[in-house]
Amino acid sequence: MNWDPTVLSRVRHLHLRARVLTDALLVGEHRSRRVGSAVEFADYLEYRGGMDLRHLDWRVMGRSDKLVVKRFETETELACTVVVDLSADMGTGGTGVGGYPDLDKSKAGYALTMAATLLFFLHRHGEPIGLEIVGGEGMAHVSLPPRSSKNHLQLLFMQLASVQPAGRAELSPALARIGQRVRRRSLCIVITDGMEEPSEWLPSMKALTRRKTDLRLVHLFDRGEWTLNFKQPGLFFSPEGGEALPIDPGGARELFGEVVDEYVAEVRAGVVAVGGKHILAATDEDMAVALRSVIFGNVASEPTWR
Amino acid sequence: MALTALLPWALGLAALAILPILAHLSKQVPKSKREFGAMLLAKRLSKRLRRRRRMKDWLLLLLRLLVVALLALTAAGLEFSYQGGIPTYAGSGRVVVVLDQSLSMSLTDTGSSLLSRARAEAIAEIAEMPPGTQLGLVVYGTEARRVTPELTEDLESVSARVAAVELQGGASNLRDALHEARELLAGEPGAVLLFSDEAGPDHVTGAESELALLVAGGGVVIPKPVAADPPRNVAVLQAEYGEGIEGGQVTITVANYGTEPTETACEVTLPDGAAVPIFIDVPAGGEATERVTVPREALGGVGRVDCEDPDLPFDNSAYFHLPRVGASRVLVVDGDPGDTPTRSEVYFLERALAPWGGARTGVRPDVITPAGLTTLDPDIHRVVFLANVADPRPFAAELMAFVRNGGNLVITGGTNITAERYEAALGPLLPAQIRRPRSLAAADEPGVPLELPDLSHEIFAPFARSGRGLFTRVRSRRVLTLEPYVDNDDVTTLLNWEGGLPAMVERKVGAGRVVLWTGSIDLSWGDFPLQTAFMPMMQRLVAYLGGESGGTAARFDGRVGESLVIPLPDIALEPDVIGPDGALVRARIDGATIVFTPEAAGAYQMKLPDAPPIAWIAVNVPPNESDVRVYKSVRASEEELEPELFTRRIDLTPGFLGLSIFMLLAQALLAVRGSST
Repeated sequence: MNWDPTVLSRVRHLHLRARVLTDALLVGEHRSRRVGSAVEFADYLEYRGGMDLRHLDWRVMGRSDKLVVKRFETETELACTVVVDLSADMGTGGTGVGGYPDLDKSKAGYALTMAATLLFFLHRHGEPIGLEIVGGEGMAHVSLPPRSSKNHLQLLFMQLASVQPAGRAELSPALARIGQRVRRRSLCIVITDGMEEPSEWLPSMKALTRRKTDLRLVHLFDRGEWTLNFKQPGLFFSPEGGEALPIDPGGARELFGEVVDEYVAEVRAGVVAVGGKHILAATDEDMAVALRSVIFGNVASEPTWR
Repeated sequence: MALTALLPWALGLAALAILPILAHLSKQVPKSKREFGAMLLAKRLSKRLRRRRRMKDWLLLLLRLLVVALLALTAAGLEFSYQGGIPTYAGSGRVVVVLDQSLSMSLTDTGSSLLSRARAEAIAEIAEMPPGTQLGLVVYGTEARRVTPELTEDLESVSARVAAVELQGGASNLRDALHEARELLAGEPGAVLLFSDEAGPDHVTGAESELALLVAGGGVVIPKPVAADPPRNVAVLQAEYGEGIEGGQVTITVANYGTEPTETACEVTLPDGAAVPIFIDVPAGGEATERVTVPREALGGVGRVDCEDPDLPFDNSAYFHLPRVGASRVLVVDGDPGDTPTRSEVYFLERALAPWGGARTGVRPDVITPAGLTTLDPDIHRVVFLANVADPRPFAAELMAFVRNGGNLVITGGTNITAERYEAALGPLLPAQIRRPRSLAAADEPGVPLELPDLSHEIFAPFARSGRGLFTRVRSRRVLTLEPYVDNDDVTTLLNWEGGLPAMVERKVGAGRVVLWTGSIDLSWGDFPLQTAFMPMMQRLVAYLGGESGGTAARFDGRVGESLVIPLPDIALEPDVIGPDGALVRARIDGATIVFTPEAAGAYQMKLPDAPPIAWIAVNVPPNESDVRVYKSVRASEEELEPELFTRRIDLTPGFLGLSIFMLLAQALLAVRGSST
């Protein structure tokens, strides 16, 4: 266990943000998003806010004065895996509102907070949760398969708090690898900025959806980057390495916008093509809105990049 | 067209064009670095920009090169010059108005003559001249005349004189006009405003020497051409009488100076008033020739050809000389009629003169005996043959008067001829005193042949092609001999017998001629009537005496507006010159000549009161005036002489400067917009 104070403060931040955001998500939502229709009883589960009241076992409540809900086989096995891209590119950005220590305003801070919140929310709903991190450095485990125990959530939080954005994500092999591990009929949420050639990694998502995985791609972006909101020309370079390019933001902004439009359309078409959902998330937008889109599929509230 | 530079060395500044090329080739890389998390998009942007920038950068380089080049051209002070401008004058200073009043200016176009249009334009030009302009006026036709003796500032009076200029007629003497203008300018620079149609083959080219002098003296001729558009005129260029195959013909040459072919109706009027109508098709810009046969008998004088043409009336007529045609009405006095017609002395002569009864030759012989000869009228008979007439004394006086008044007498030899009687009766007419006949050969011998004739003589000229040798076949055994004589202005030996005896001798007497043939015209002395040469020579002899050379009046040709000098036949004479309208023409006697200048075309006569004309003068208009086409303009001539006058210059410096500034701004704008990466 890493007792680094920084890591611990990050864990604390993740807990706090996840709880706050989960509470915000549950405002007006008093039932589980999934409506089970299976008939095979599995077990009871202590009622928590947000669960569907229709599934309360009134008999148990009458006998023991406890609020429990009945669970069925299909609901109990919906494992959730959150895939977080922590390549070096994710460490950039200047407009984020993640508030993550040391990674404040970066895409990585936003991604980590969002991943923690999703894990917290799903765990609170009793779902087995797992974590896959691509790219980055400092983590103890590359892959943490879905589990339901409370300690597992702590472990995941520790993993999130320990990792720093670095290296290349290599999305294509990473997604292919994860696709081999995820369970059938599970939920997979991929949080990435997608800064690799879409034609290379989008086909790899097929590995996730072919097992009837509910795939949701959270496409993170920094509005400052996508709008070239810089004043002076400069030699732009990627923290992942590669060729640096001289760019005059003022002269190229309009053309860059066209490039972004084409790119977003390409990624969205690729995700939809493999049966997933594409959720565009700006780091300067309220994360609760993005989370609603991820969890409830509320695409109408999806932000535009401009 | 030419491009010149005031500072050619400044063109070397164009070498600075290397600077933008270097700037273009040098790659500007921003110094500041920025971490960027969307490099995937930046790379895509870079690819797209590269495509755009390729084109923009070349455009930018081109603009920059243009800027440098234009600045170099600006510094060089380029000047564009081209030929074609018409000389202008400042509207002040010394100006001479030259007005063409030649015949061609009477051409009617759009309702008014060219002269009236030129007058109006000249007056308008003068009205525009500022006060203080020193102005002169010169008019020209055949001769040029200074209307204002010197330059004057009284523009109104000059304008009034321009308005009073009338058609002078005659040719276009632009050379003298420019000379007069030069005299008016007195060697100082000035402008000559030339109002003319510039028409005619030598109108302008004939004046180039004066034009050169004028231009060399600092003057400039500003042409103000007035011409019909398109040019059109039909003119009778020439009418001329001449012998044709079937007799006398008037050859008419008509020119069409227009651009459309035309058929013009013409009429040939002979001196006796007879008129022959004719239609002539004349091609556009060309000439047509037609011939009109003159009746076998016509009075001599000046005939006229008139053609219809509304454009330029003055040249619709041409005048030509017509000799007395068919006047060879011959009176043959047969001195030896014989007892049968074939034994007549003139049997052969009569048939030689009128082989078809006179129907085709135009010679009509009347044969009489000496007793029938009572009166002689030169207007009826032009030639009298005394054929072997024994005694001419009864009609000697008539013959003397006949010859002196223009009649012609031919005396032929024979056995009846008596030297004493002829000497007594016709001594003053005979070319030489006649002696008795002389035998040259025995009766059974062929006789002495004729020598070859002198073909330069009018009678024998037709034998030049062939037939000269025919004369050597003519032989005579007996001839009249003559007292020795010497050829002079009046007496001419036309033909000799071999051995030197004269065969045919001519003598001029008064207005007539006497020809003596020493042989006989029957077969008594020789075989002349049987020889081939007999008939043509007799025809020629009659034509010579009574036809082509007939008539007593001399004939002269003249041109309208040109001075005519006519020699007087006798220095003591003071004849009058009568114009076509019958009025006296002003003329002056200058020694042995009379001098006058015809002002109109037509038939002029020089004559003494109540006497036949001494001379006929056919006066025609100058043919060049009829040609209303412009062969060479004043402008073209002046441009050849002094191209600088016609050179227009445009300073290109402001244009290049403005263009370079524009290019500079354009490249700056493009550079700002294009420097995105």
